[in-house]
Amino acid sequence: MDSISYIPKARKFFWNFLKYISVIVITFMVTIPFLWMMFSSFKTDVEILTNPFGLPETFSFGNYISAFQKLNIPLFYKNTFIIVLPTLFFGTIITFISSFVLSMIKFKYSKVLYFFLISGLAIPVFILLFPIFFLSAKFKIYNLYIALILPYIAISIPFSTLLFTGFLRGFPQEIIEAAIIDGCGLFSICTKIVLPIIKPTILTILIFNLLYVWNEYPLAVTLIGDKNLFTISLGATILRGRWDIDYGAIMAAGTSIIIPQLIILMFLQKYIIEGMTAGAVKG
Amino acid sequence: MFWFRKKSIIIFMLLPTLTLYVLYMIIPIIMSLFFSFTGYSGIGKIDFSGLENYIKMLRDPLFFNSLKNTFIILGFAFFILLPCAFLLSLLLNKKMKGINIAKSLIFSPAIIAPIIVGLIWTFILDPYKGLLNMFLERVGLDFLALQWIGGKTLSPYSMGVVYTWQNLGFITIIFIAGLKIIPKEINEASMIDGATPRQELFYITIPLLKETFIINIVLIVAGSFKIFEIIVQLTGGGPNYLSESLITYMYFITFQQSQYGYGMVIAIVTFLISIIFFSFYLIIIMRRDKE
Repeated sequence: MDSISYIPKARKFFWNFLKYISVIVITFMVTIPFLWMMFSSFKTDVEILTNPFGLPETFSFGNYISAFQKLNIPLFYKNTFIIVLPTLFFGTIITFISSFVLSMIKFKYSKVLYFFLISGLAIPVFILLFPIFFLSAKFKIYNLYIALILPYIAISIPFSTLLFTGFLRGFPQEIIEAAIIDGCGLFSICTKIVLPIIKPTILTILIFNLLYVWNEYPLAVTLIGDKNLFTISLGATILRGRWDIDYGAIMAAGTSIIIPQLIILMFLQKYIIEGMTAGAVKG
Repeated sequence: MFWFRKKSIIIFMLLPTLTLYVLYMIIPIIMSLFFSFTGYSGIGKIDFSGLENYIKMLRDPLFFNSLKNTFIILGFAFFILLPCAFLLSLLLNKKMKGINIAKSLIFSPAIIAPIIVGLIWTFILDPYKGLLNMFLERVGLDFLALQWIGGKTLSPYSMGVVYTWQNLGFITIIFIAGLKIIPKEINEASMIDGATPRQELFYITIPLLKETFIINIVLIVAGSFKIFEIIVQLTGGGPNYLSESLITYMYFITFQQSQYGYGMVIAIVTFLISIIFFSFYLIIIMRRDKE
């Protein structure tokens, strides 16, 4: 039944029109800061000040050249990836294994351990900063990549556990039992039976943690002091309020940092939104 | 599954996760608690000072100012972000052409590095050279061109605006997820019974979204206590620490002043506040778990 059929046509048209207009206006308002930054990155410094709101008169890449000369953006990307890759790789493997045990095998403390790990979602990273700094100095790993990789994995554990166990609990036990009868070992059960089915969950976890590590700032600024090891987030602070240096170059640097993220969002939106709404809380 | 009922295998499989988790999440909390009772400053022996740091906090006007700023941001998010996100979710939950593009654009600020969010907004809000005041002066609204950041009063409100911008899409998406769960039959039944759209909203949609509202409130509260990068970029806590939040003030005391003991007191207080709000969230998860 068409529930709004009793509304006269003209009125319906008006409401639809209003809806479209509001969606367009809201979307535009939210994206103004990005658009402004991107447009400005193609303008000359003079044009940014004389014509701050319009489209650039000519698209010039001069700002990008000067941004890449002033800031070693490729190096920031390289450092970020050196940290991201092992974090995602080892983090996903160890939490997958532990979640597998916690959800597939019933033993005395499985429930307790599950809630013990999940409750980590409530721990704000800021209470951990100084102790982790202190420990890193004691372990003599301060200013090394590993100083960030280990806490990043630890911080991703509660959320990954939540998602993994949520999925694995619904996994039919019969399939696994059948596999055991057929002579499958633990390893081949994980890789050949569970893994193919759990792929979307793994993807969600990977993307979510990728964004977390990519964007992470508080731990990075605490544990990394060497400019040669700066991540993207740390590199971006060099630009803070630097009106004295090239305005356009700052816009270009900012744009080259957010564009890859917007591209990731475009292609993997479904998984990102799933991850953010499933766990909804982190970091 | 006899082969992994063996205790040793279970322990072996749990060990890496548990070790890292305990080492980097649990032990640090105990350490923070421990340091909060000391006067440790990085050099020399760790000396116990009892409750001295806690008393210092109660006498520190900058602490209360930071607490006030945190609650201003929180209040702003609660009264502006939450209702806006709810209304937006009602709008975006409709079937329309191009609605998915709109959704992902509105959502995009939530995945951008917060440090870049802060950077962009510094260049918008700066009172002298920022885009906003430049715009206001052009259209002849000079009197509205206020000192959005860096002044004495407006900074925390501006941070609330940036936080709202950053999280609007995120909170909206969670509302939409909640709206999707409401069975269509209920809405149809209410239509047939002659409920007006307003009645439907207040007597059906909102009560059924109770859980989603709680989750979003928890997220907003937890989120506003975690705003760090935005403040670092917008004002750096200045002028004279007037725009610090609890955690930026904690960071300043700990890492710039090297008053580790006192810094950990502020960290513990922040932790306790967030635990209280977070327990609501955990209760919801546990309840879902039982079903």
